[in-house]
Amino acid sequence: MFGYVRPVRPELKCRDFDLYRATYCGLCRCLRHRYGPIAPMLLNFDFTFLALLLWPAEPSFTPCSGRCHANPLIHKPMCPNSPALELAADESIILAWWKLRDTVGDEGVWKGLPARMLSTVLRPSYRKAARLRPEFDRTVRICLGELNRLEREKCASIDRTADTFARILQAAAPEEGTLGRVLSQMLYHLGRWIYLLDARDDLQEDIQRGRYNPLILRYGSQGGGQEFENTLSHSLELVGAAFQLGEFGCRAALLENIIYLGLPLVQRAVFDGSWIQIKKQKIWSNRE
Amino acid sequence: MRDPYSVLGVSQNASDEEIKKAYRELARKYHPDNYQNNPLADLAEEKMKEINEAYEAITKQRSGGSYQSSTGYSGGQGSYSSASRNPTYARVRSMINAGDLGTAERLLNEVPQRDGEWYFLSGSIAYSRGWLDEATQNYARAVQMDPGNMEYRQAYAMMQQRAGGYRPYGYTNTMDSMDCCTTLLCLNCLCGGGRC
Repeated sequence: MFGYVRPVRPELKCRDFDLYRATYCGLCRCLRHRYGPIAPMLLNFDFTFLALLLWPAEPSFTPCSGRCHANPLIHKPMCPNSPALELAADESIILAWWKLRDTVGDEGVWKGLPARMLSTVLRPSYRKAARLRPEFDRTVRICLGELNRLEREKCASIDRTADTFARILQAAAPEEGTLGRVLSQMLYHLGRWIYLLDARDDLQEDIQRGRYNPLILRYGSQGGGQEFENTLSHSLELVGAAFQLGEFGCRAALLENIIYLGLPLVQRAVFDGSWIQIKKQKIWSNRE
Repeated sequence: MRDPYSVLGVSQNASDEEIKKAYRELARKYHPDNYQNNPLADLAEEKMKEINEAYEAITKQRSGGSYQSSTGYSGGQGSYSSASRNPTYARVRSMINAGDLGTAERLLNEVPQRDGEWYFLSGSIAYSRGWLDEATQNYARAVQMDPGNMEYRQAYAMMQQRAGGYRPYGYTNTMDSMDCCTTLLCLNCLCGGGRC
């Protein structure tokens, strides 16, 4: 979706790298099995992170082998199927669908055409996912509706607009027990961070096209600077503080890498403009 | 009670020094300062209690029972201690501490006069929600209206100077101390520019 949530590879231990890739490939397989050959297109790092978070803590991990979707001739280590992968897969379909509908609504007849076509293709998948996760579907619909309203009203509060997206992400984890509380906090603050970082990333384009962007209204066309960076880093700190209170077993080290190294680096890259090149690259490709 | 050694994440035959180190790292992690005004403060406090007890149990065991508890961070919660003169504000404070932000906000909105404390409490509600920008603005307003109040000034200062919070061992300072070349190098790595 955005791809902001990713690990820093050189700082990963080999086993954590394997675990990350196995989860990514596992999510891809899960999307394909549940939603057919188009669905793996929606695969992304953010939902891989979600799958890692949702996975019940276990002391160690053994991958199984599966056929790669991109190249069916090779086998890759993959996570075994699990409720965490299924939940992440269903939710990525639901969110992608609503985002597409949003784009269709925002753009004109011609510009919205690709999104319209894609959403037509995804429609059966969405219906299935929405049937399986009615609560999440409802939350996404309500929150994106609220966001649209705030955009029309030209809301100048960055917290209020970010809140709508943060609540979507918060709803991605079941809110049960201690771990549920921890995940709910983590995902809320992460959602705020993702929304605001995306707004920062779109700032120049939005200014040129005269589109709504909460940062312009809050900070002017310079888009914040240090004060804004502070508030983003503070959100990340709260993600970390919540994370420390949960049990994540063998996935803790990988999650730590993402939270304490990956997210701050991505933030820095968005601020200094190098993100444009970085976001296109894959984490594991051997080629530049 | 869980095995005190596993609580601290050390083996049974770890040296006293290792145990102390493990304890300190955990105490730094769950320190109430990291969870001020945080809806998860109760969980952190529980953890803190658990590691304090484990450390105490081990020290007692090793000193042959003669150990007097002296160390141990007290789990002094980051909640509001100072009492409000205004009864509504006092209720708002206890609502925030109990995590009932909706009621706290409703109560606060019924107050006709907006003084320093009103903005401070408004900022606290925003903070607990994760609305950090509005929290900062409200705290700033509170300080502006009542510059002598230490509680407001502390809250505002906390938003201004990011201490960075807790970072696990091995992640401390990695990014902050980097010069720009290293940063670029790292950014490259983020996406896997190098060969595996």
